[in-house]
Amino acid sequence: MTMTMTARGVSLERIDDYRWRIPRDGRLGMRVEGLIFADDQLIAPLREDPCLTQVANVATLPGIVGASLGMPDLHWGYGFPIGGVAAMALDGGVISPGGIGFDINCGVRLLRSDLEAADVRPILDRLADGLFRAVPSGVGSHAGYRLSSVDVDLVLRRGADWAVTAGHGSHLDLAMTEEGGCLSGADPSQVSVRASARGSNQLGTLGSGNHFLEVQVVDQVLDPQAAGAMHLREGQVTVMIHCGSRGLGHQVCTDHIGAMERASRRYAITLPDRQLACAPLGSPEAEAYLGAMRAAANFAWANRQLITVAVRRTFAELLGAAAADLPLVYDVSHNMAKFEQHRLNGEQVELCVHRKGATRAFPAGHPALPEVYREVGQPVLIPGDMGRCSLVAVGLPGAMAETFGSTCHGAGRRLSRHAAIRQLRGVDLVAELRQAGVIVRAERRDLLAEEASLAYKDVEAVVRVAAGAGHIRPVARLRPLAVIKG
Amino acid sequence: MVKTGHQPRTLGDRARPHGQSVRWHRAVDHTADVGLRAAAGTGEGLLEEAAAALVELSSDVGRTRELRSEAIEIEADDLEQLVFRWLNELIGLAEVRGEALARTTVSSLRRGRPGWVVRGQAWFAPFDAKEVRPRLQVKAVTLYRLCVTHGPDGWALEAYLDV
Repeated sequence: MTMTMTARGVSLERIDDYRWRIPRDGRLGMRVEGLIFADDQLIAPLREDPCLTQVANVATLPGIVGASLGMPDLHWGYGFPIGGVAAMALDGGVISPGGIGFDINCGVRLLRSDLEAADVRPILDRLADGLFRAVPSGVGSHAGYRLSSVDVDLVLRRGADWAVTAGHGSHLDLAMTEEGGCLSGADPSQVSVRASARGSNQLGTLGSGNHFLEVQVVDQVLDPQAAGAMHLREGQVTVMIHCGSRGLGHQVCTDHIGAMERASRRYAITLPDRQLACAPLGSPEAEAYLGAMRAAANFAWANRQLITVAVRRTFAELLGAAAADLPLVYDVSHNMAKFEQHRLNGEQVELCVHRKGATRAFPAGHPALPEVYREVGQPVLIPGDMGRCSLVAVGLPGAMAETFGSTCHGAGRRLSRHAAIRQLRGVDLVAELRQAGVIVRAERRDLLAEEASLAYKDVEAVVRVAAGAGHIRPVARLRPLAVIKG
Repeated sequence: MVKTGHQPRTLGDRARPHGQSVRWHRAVDHTADVGLRAAAGTGEGLLEEAAAALVELSSDVGRTRELRSEAIEIEADDLEQLVFRWLNELIGLAEVRGEALARTTVSSLRRGRPGWVVRGQAWFAPFDAKEVRPRLQVKAVTLYRLCVTHGPDGWALEAYLDV
């Protein structure tokens, strides 16, 4: 076993081809070790990266059990690293809003169609234009209507079910959404007036940054049985949606992290990073945050549900009524804290699992899964970048054994926005992508470089590690045809 | 701010209501998000400079006469919390108004009991296709590495923003 010291003073030792350990270091206050899933290619740039220090910092949080985990798409975040997972004991553990992030319940959903790529290619430009109009995107995007405070309250309590009850979608959509699209225990009274105001006209909008809506084609089926359960086949058109709780969720985190800082001092919790501010589970501050976080999560599910309906409407307008049949394959969250049952030291225990840029990946047989996926495992949706591909996978028992049922949430960034712009100066990215068969619509074409393929790791390399570690099994590869960016 | 690269960007010799003539802000690279550093001769100037960085990051505000203002007063336990709350207040106000943050002025920064109090004014501009265009959505200012220093040479801060 080789132990090396990284440039940032964190010890790192190789365990095997896919695992690296940051040994527990009492001087840093680490209560558990760090465990990172990476191969030689993925670990190399991380040796100079602050994300390893962030993994070590998370290991100092009270009540953390197992290890502070870094998924294969691990990269530098704030407080928690992106791709970070931490499970806390209910007795003595904490909740940290920084372990969920500002975009609460940011997540991904996948719709499948009965269309072939050849059906949409002739009208792809019109389809992209239609989707770009139907799903507002970019900074300050709004839905064109404002929810009343009563409606906001209902959305916060009921999530996607509010949308379906109002005629936006079907109960099948809810069945194919993590938690049925609604976390119980949401407490709208813990959501500030400012947060509600930020969200009141944003339901059904994409936002900006790395959020997107893609029309895709199933490029390759890698696991026929699981693909069959998801009704995915080669050549089929799919639609992927990536977005979260918009300004409402951002404000919830902002509001509560301030309170958590005061709580950390009150409970004498020493923190290596103020963004890790936290409060003991069961404390008034923790309960207040969890009530607000669940409400924001419900808002995000309602948001993705309304976007889904706008996508179906657009397909119907351009391809005929039958094309509106776009069933939901699954909807996963990748910024969330959940109370879940896991085996720890041979015992079944309830833990509070923080996933910051990490996707739940429950295996076949897990009771939380919809009946149709019980035999194959939970669909895991892993977006790549707009020039290459995205992956669909299923969770495996190895994830339950090692990562509290978690895996990567995407490719993970490798370049800063500034570096991406610098490297692509003078390049007409829209024209290059069109040349490669990908149509792009964006509110600010001049800012597309920030989200270009070269800014991201190769998602297939990331998924290879997650699969090699035994956490997921790849099911299908999806290639973008049309991309809508904020 | 994000357009300025790694070198300090001085804002020239324009007279400012607070601080010395040399004030600057610049972007700090971060893989997923955006960092900023700012400096000014006074605390008031520093808060204005940090807000100016936020303006450049979140929108392109050209010539527009249609500015609308809002008074802001914020208290916080320490200077870092004050910066956190000042910048997040600007982000939240802009989003609720559906407008671009255009500029700020800080009339006073003083020690409160306990902590610090800032009073200022923020100006917002309605978006239009030509002069006021949205840029990058700043979700929030984080507490990560948030640091404010001050001494005989002036005031400085470092902050990271979730975008």
